[in-house]
Amino acid sequence: MYRPRALSQLICLALLGLIGQPHDVAAGNVVQTEQVRAELVAHAPEGVAPGRTLWLGLRLEHIPHWHTYWKNAGDSGLPTTMNWTLPAGAVAGDIDWPAPRKLPIGPLLNFGYEGVVLLPVPLTISSRIDGAALHVKLDADWLVCKIECIPQSGTFELGIPVDQPTVAHAIQFAQALAARPEDVRGAESTARVADDALHFEVRGLPAAVRGTQAEVFPEISGVVDNPAPVRQQWDGETWTASWPLSAQRSASPDALPLVLRFDDGRNLRVVAKLGSSWPGAEAAGTATAPPSPGDAAALSQPGFLTALLFALLGGVILNLMPCVFPVLSLKILAVTQHAGDARQRWTGALAYTAGVVLSFLALAGLLIAARAGGEQLGWGFQLQAPGTVVALAALFTLIGLNLAGVFEFGSMLPSGIASLRARDPTLDSFLTGVLAAAVASPCTAPFMGAALGAALTWPTAQSLTVFAALGLGVAAPYLLVCAVPALGRWLPRPGAWMQTFRVALAFPMFATVIWLAWVLGHQVGVDGAAALLMALLVLALAAWWWTQRPAEGAKRHLSTGVILLLVAGTFLWAKPLWQPGAPDTRVGAHVGGLWQPWSPQRVTELRAAGQKVFVDFTAAWCVTCQYNKRTTLANDRVLAAFEANKVALLRADWTSRDAIIAAELARLGRSGVPVYVFYDGANAPRLLSELPSVEEVRAAVSSNRN
Amino acid sequence: MKRSTTLFAVAAASLLGAALVHASVSVGKPAPEFKVKDTSGKEQTLSAYKGKFVVLEWTNPGCPFVQKHYETSNMQATQKAAEDKGAVWLTVSSSAPDQGDYRKPSELAEWLKQKGASPTATLMDDDGKLGHAYGARTTPHMYVIDPNGTLVYAGAIDSKATARKEDVKGATNYVKAALDEAMAGKPVTKATSEPYGCSIKY
Repeated sequence: MYRPRALSQLICLALLGLIGQPHDVAAGNVVQTEQVRAELVAHAPEGVAPGRTLWLGLRLEHIPHWHTYWKNAGDSGLPTTMNWTLPAGAVAGDIDWPAPRKLPIGPLLNFGYEGVVLLPVPLTISSRIDGAALHVKLDADWLVCKIECIPQSGTFELGIPVDQPTVAHAIQFAQALAARPEDVRGAESTARVADDALHFEVRGLPAAVRGTQAEVFPEISGVVDNPAPVRQQWDGETWTASWPLSAQRSASPDALPLVLRFDDGRNLRVVAKLGSSWPGAEAAGTATAPPSPGDAAALSQPGFLTALLFALLGGVILNLMPCVFPVLSLKILAVTQHAGDARQRWTGALAYTAGVVLSFLALAGLLIAARAGGEQLGWGFQLQAPGTVVALAALFTLIGLNLAGVFEFGSMLPSGIASLRARDPTLDSFLTGVLAAAVASPCTAPFMGAALGAALTWPTAQSLTVFAALGLGVAAPYLLVCAVPALGRWLPRPGAWMQTFRVALAFPMFATVIWLAWVLGHQVGVDGAAALLMALLVLALAAWWWTQRPAEGAKRHLSTGVILLLVAGTFLWAKPLWQPGAPDTRVGAHVGGLWQPWSPQRVTELRAAGQKVFVDFTAAWCVTCQYNKRTTLANDRVLAAFEANKVALLRADWTSRDAIIAAELARLGRSGVPVYVFYDGANAPRLLSELPSVEEVRAAVSSNRN
Repeated sequence: MKRSTTLFAVAAASLLGAALVHASVSVGKPAPEFKVKDTSGKEQTLSAYKGKFVVLEWTNPGCPFVQKHYETSNMQATQKAAEDKGAVWLTVSSSAPDQGDYRKPSELAEWLKQKGASPTATLMDDDGKLGHAYGARTTPHMYVIDPNGTLVYAGAIDSKATARKEDVKGATNYVKAALDEAMAGKPVTKATSEPYGCSIKY
């Protein structure tokens, strides 16, 4: 390795003819290594006098392909550091860094300088300097890299005349100061964390850069995933950008200074204040220690076999839910009509089962893959996106209308079953299975979110087995009727009553739609929910009109076109109203009275203050949560116990996606709601069951575990 | 009917999520499994060490930051302390074979032996898959995995991000601290830090 300090001393020694006394020599103002020529320079156009600011600078000239680093070096490397030895009355400031360049190295990204760079440092003079010159000494360290890296350092000395101007490097200093990013006066910059990314919003940038793209440099290291693409756009005068967080984020600053290098060469600096809190481990890492995920998980996980059994049972019960029951009961009744052909019945039953099981496996697989990829999701994620809720509401509306007889799909239902059987009954059975799984999926979240959530924290093979068991449970009644024709005889004989029954079944479907509209209302507000109802009305009109079209000819095509346009137009109109947002609508609905909004910081604060804390992790779409909220958590004796033990009540609302809540659930070993946690001072948190009884809550908050 | 069920099935499938895929692992998440040959040609997997604490150390003998910690015996001492407590220590080279700093398995093993290091195994991650899975960026870059296979520490070996050997003294050794806390059943106070050093030569 090269030894620049020794070399610089050698050069000085040679120059000064002082070989033999190496330790007493004065250093020069230049250090030359194989890769870098470093020179200490000064700029004092008005000389050195009290009250004046003058500039010192380290000028680094790199040979081609080599670079040194900015204040945030990026994925590797180190910033150049300077240590000054100054006479009394002189104070050096920090390096006033010029805007850096991006320096990609393989898959990594660094920030730094190639070619020539001058790192300026302001020097403030507060009292008279004795003598004819101000003597400054600098110890500097820099890391110079191409692909390989060499740490180098140098000691520099310089005398700046007191009574005459020093302007030899005026041009270089002017260039360096011009290359500094300029603070934008009056700019309003905010950042928030969501979906594992930082979302920046900056207003008040100069009009000249509007609409152009910027290279973005974070001044603080360890926050964002440096090489990840920064998605930026202009919305009128507002510049927005999204930058994925580093998976191994090591800093959680309150404000993020950014340097923006715009296409026109302009370098701007904004400081984005963080409007949301940081998710995950670091946030609470200091005062009160969180439990390790392993501990918490061990507290509450049911055994694997128990989980399998419950999944199977849960699947069977799902058949009775308002979303699945209509589809299934008609399917079963259809089978009894064709009790004769055993082989055909079996093929159909197995295809149906395969459809259900594979759909659940696909859903679980997708979720496991997303979680492995670092997404903060849990079971119930399918209802956290307003788009999904809208799509499910539309699906249930169509099924409901079909059951009510407004229009016919064709042959999903008994009336047309003969014609379909003739075509491809196996495929039909499989797809009916997929449909059953799809209509069941919103119901799994409300009723089995917590149990399935726990399963998701297990090894992949085990958790997939649990989901397969759930699918088998859903398919079980149909499978059973096919397997044991005798059971069919217990079912009512098919007849004209079935038509009435079918229409009656439309009502649970519409009830499900109302529930979905209510969930959407919590996510996006009353305007979005009203827009959904409007869109569903148009969809219903379109479905009815579709059946009224003339049998053929131009008029039929015209009708088709108008209907499609009508539906597409309505949904496009309503789409902006279905953006997740307005958190205050959510909070307003769920928090209030005794309950405060939850945040990891709030829990830490309260615990640090020695207060007992009870947290309710809930969601609008979680029926179990709503049930508990209206029963146990509203019980007078429970409320009295909360009050007597001075328990702070916090509520975390997971109706919409929220990475902070998901991260907290993961730390508690859960990935679905409801979750009830009780913190007693610094003791490990205690998880309650998903359906806590009045006694359970009272016992938990009353016990003194110190 | 068939068409409409198909439509529903497609709609249902598309409802079920748009998953963004991130490359590397976070602290608190399961550490990714790997299967990599060591310097003796033996296949090494993470799962083989389930039930034990595992330390991953990215190295490159040509990097001055690696030299800082080997020439001061800081790395060897950290390793010995970890192994004495029953931890597994896997040294990883993710340099691509066409890079100047690449060492052949035998050379790398010899260099470590000369330095008095005794990792449980030294992994030749020539294609960089292991490095990418863990998001390793620098040499050294350190990871600690608990017996359940959960990543509990990721970052620098210590708190003084310099290449100066004299800075080893007085620096907080994050790997040692993480192991001490995790082995005592406590949460790791400093679970992430900014790694410092040379770029990994992928």
